[in-house]
Amino acid sequence: MTPERDEPLIELEHIGKDYVTEDVTVRALRSVDITIAHGEFVAIVGQSGSGKSTMMNIIGCLDRPTRGTYRLDGIDVTHRPNDARAIVRNRLIGFVFQGFNLLPRTTALENVELPLVYRGISAAERRQRALASLEAVGLGQRLHHTPNQLSGGQQQRVAIARALVTSPPLLLADEPTGNLDTRTSLEVLGLLQHLNRQNGITIVLVTHEPDIAACARRVITMRDGAVRRDARNEQPLDAASALAELPPPDEGDTA
Amino acid sequence: MITLLRAFLSALPMAVRAIRRNKLRASLTIVGITIGIAAVVTVTSLATGARERVQGQISGLGSNALIVFSRSTRASGVRNAAERSRLSELDVQAITREANSVRWAAPFLRSSAQVLFENNNTSTSLIGTRTDYFSIRNWGVSEGALWSPTSETISERVVVIGKLTASTLFGPLDPVGRTIRIGRHTFRVLGVLQEKGPSPFGQSQDEIVAMPASTMRSFILATRPSEVHGIMLSATSEGTTDRAKKQVESILRHRHRIRDGEEDDFRVRSQDEFRAMQETIYGALSALLISIAAVSLVVGGIGVMNIMLVSVTERTREIGIRMAIGAREADILLQFLLESLFLATLGGITGTLVGYGAIFAFATALDWPMELQPASLAMALGVSTAIGLIFGFFPARSAAQMDPVQALGRE
Repeated sequence: MTPERDEPLIELEHIGKDYVTEDVTVRALRSVDITIAHGEFVAIVGQSGSGKSTMMNIIGCLDRPTRGTYRLDGIDVTHRPNDARAIVRNRLIGFVFQGFNLLPRTTALENVELPLVYRGISAAERRQRALASLEAVGLGQRLHHTPNQLSGGQQQRVAIARALVTSPPLLLADEPTGNLDTRTSLEVLGLLQHLNRQNGITIVLVTHEPDIAACARRVITMRDGAVRRDARNEQPLDAASALAELPPPDEGDTA
Repeated sequence: MITLLRAFLSALPMAVRAIRRNKLRASLTIVGITIGIAAVVTVTSLATGARERVQGQISGLGSNALIVFSRSTRASGVRNAAERSRLSELDVQAITREANSVRWAAPFLRSSAQVLFENNNTSTSLIGTRTDYFSIRNWGVSEGALWSPTSETISERVVVIGKLTASTLFGPLDPVGRTIRIGRHTFRVLGVLQEKGPSPFGQSQDEIVAMPASTMRSFILATRPSEVHGIMLSATSEGTTDRAKKQVESILRHRHRIRDGEEDDFRVRSQDEFRAMQETIYGALSALLISIAAVSLVVGGIGVMNIMLVSVTERTREIGIRMAIGAREADILLQFLLESLFLATLGGITGTLVGYGAIFAFATALDWPMELQPASLAMALGVSTAIGLIFGFFPARSAAQMDPVQALGRE
């Protein structure tokens, strides 16, 4: 049932990251070695300042490590120039952020099309793939709504659709449920689990909430810029069933 | 190439949308460019029109015309400006007799005076000459007639007047046959000269009272016997102008007993020299005006740059999002560059329209023959595009070179 493969997708070797500010050097990451295989669902947990955000930036090719080597899908991306990393982000990674990070005053459909614009795909194909992606996250109805006309849960679905539209092997989610209530959080997590199981997409989820991390099949705990614990979760929480067990929503409570 | 075109086509609607979101701000920026372009278009056209007009006026002087002016000489290194003219009626006679390339020669005296008709009075220039003067200048009468040679012989108190003087003094009345007063004397109006427009130097040539030189000498201007202020000449044809000039110079040097190496006490000017002189003056003037207009264009360009810098700062997060989902530096650069290009080009188009409007207004108000040149349209659009590129480049590049982590606010 799980399409996990042994081939590594993410290989971090002795990754370190320093921030230098006015003679003070902050070691955000000391020496991190992590390997994540295709099809895994990994949660990276830790308190603020533990280095998990820095890790996310490096895995997402948004930032370069100070030391060490990072291979993504077999490609050494450690020292790639900016444009090459932009192409890597476009082709291999889908981002889902805590603040949704949709373009304001831009419709859901256009937001989802955007990654394809930068890939140089024709307008007709963009539209078709964006529609399919929005359909896949259950948002086939609100295509022409702008973010401020959508609820938080819906905005996050649009963000997930945007991350999926390029069919990347890796989906990076940074506190994806941070701005959502319990019910909506479970819906989003259920969607992520579904995508992981059905499509085999690798998911790396950064969170500081143990409840959320419980949905992952592997939990990496960060502390003071180093991996403290790396454990398999043999019985991940199934978000869909958890959602079904919740009491029905109050009148007027919209997701 | 196709990739670039596709990138361009997909960035264009994004740029347009970004501009439409800030209509007021965009409009103000566009107004800045509009003013600059309108100024340049108007001034360029004005300068070209002025030059053409001046050339027309110089031609209107009479195609083969030459003018002899008296020129003060240097006495022990000091130029004596108050010195009297050394040209005389006798010089004119000698030129008519000896210079075979000269067709007509008419001496003239110049002055100015207050002219009265009943309760109206106006200040005009006076000229005392012979009727040949009007032949040389291709200048006829529109009403009445010129005086006859007899009037010149007997110093008759008759005048012909310019169009503007006529309308100032007489209004709707027919001036022909009526009497005007200059000083203590009365003069009969024989005719009204055709309208001539302003001279190359800007004065109106239609504010004039002309009379026989002998009349002027007798009743208005005390001169030495036979003294004249200048001589208007015409060569037998356009090709003989230079020869006529040389002949006149040689005759006058001989008659004024100027030895080789000594300075002439006169100067002969041809139409070409007038033209060259005018072109120098107008060239300098247009250069000045156009540079002032260009300064306002630069100010407009700085406005574009300013608004683009603000826009880049405001949209830092958007830039971060775009980078995260795969925009390359060139994509971001293109997006912001298109925005500034769009603003500047729109300003260029409205500026051209406003400029053309101003040209029509000027042309109507000043009766100034200003040309609408397609070249100025091309120039306006070219310049505004260049401004969009130059002043938009720095903000666009600073957007393109942002660090995605910082832009997303993830630090």
